[in-house]
Amino acid sequence: MIEDIHQGQILPPVVKHITQEKINLYAEASGDFNPIHIDESFAVQTPLGGTIAHGMLILAYVSDMMARAFGASWNSGGKLSVRFKAPARPGDTVTVAGKVESVEDEEGTSCARCSLECRNQQGEAIVVGEARVRLE
Amino acid sequence: MPVTYEELTVGYEFPPASYELNASLVAKYLGAVDSAGDDSVPPLAVAARALAALAEWLHLPAGTIHASQDFEFFKLVPVGATVHCQAKVGRKLTRGSMRMLVLELSVADSSGQKVQSGKATIILPA
Repeated sequence: MIEDIHQGQILPPVVKHITQEKINLYAEASGDFNPIHIDESFAVQTPLGGTIAHGMLILAYVSDMMARAFGASWNSGGKLSVRFKAPARPGDTVTVAGKVESVEDEEGTSCARCSLECRNQQGEAIVVGEARVRLE
Repeated sequence: MPVTYEELTVGYEFPPASYELNASLVAKYLGAVDSAGDDSVPPLAVAARALAALAEWLHLPAGTIHASQDFEFFKLVPVGATVHCQAKVGRKLTRGSMRMLVLELSVADSSGQKVQSGKATIILPA
């Protein structure tokens, strides 16, 4: 329950396995057909060395975790700020984790500030950032 | 006619775009992100379509990557809603062979209420 949100709380993680099929599906759903995501013969010739998942696909997992933890407060009052540190590749298992760093009053409304990170199965950070949610 | 990086200036406003978030599109999105849905469009699905609408006006070379992203969500929209997207160039930076763009986006519903805003930083290949 949102009234139980407290400093130090660990948000339930979201774990997803990345496949080329999922990346292709996301390309179709989003309309983003950049070959770095879907064309292995192109991607292998770039400095990335192969196809990578769309950053927005990984952010969908982040948003999913936040929506599960905060419900409507996230979808209608959430703020997200992230940096993409490394690519997620087909075959990776991505774990999205979050922690409530503080609960503060902002203009009369309680607001949770959360740290966020996504790591692959080797522990490498893929996405780092923070989110803010008004608790109402 | 899509514009190129070279043609863009800070403050450049892309033509506004409207798009329908219909049930078929949302179902495809939910399948792609492996998520259950409800009667509302996931905020990241709205954002993904906003970026796709923007891409119709901006020629991004193959190999362009997303470096950072900010969002603020104001309200959900129901499946089937039509939303309106505005975007402009917030920043443009060329350093050596690196070319970077900060794109600012804002999405509103059919009554003009703000749905979400965002800021995408992208890096274009040399």
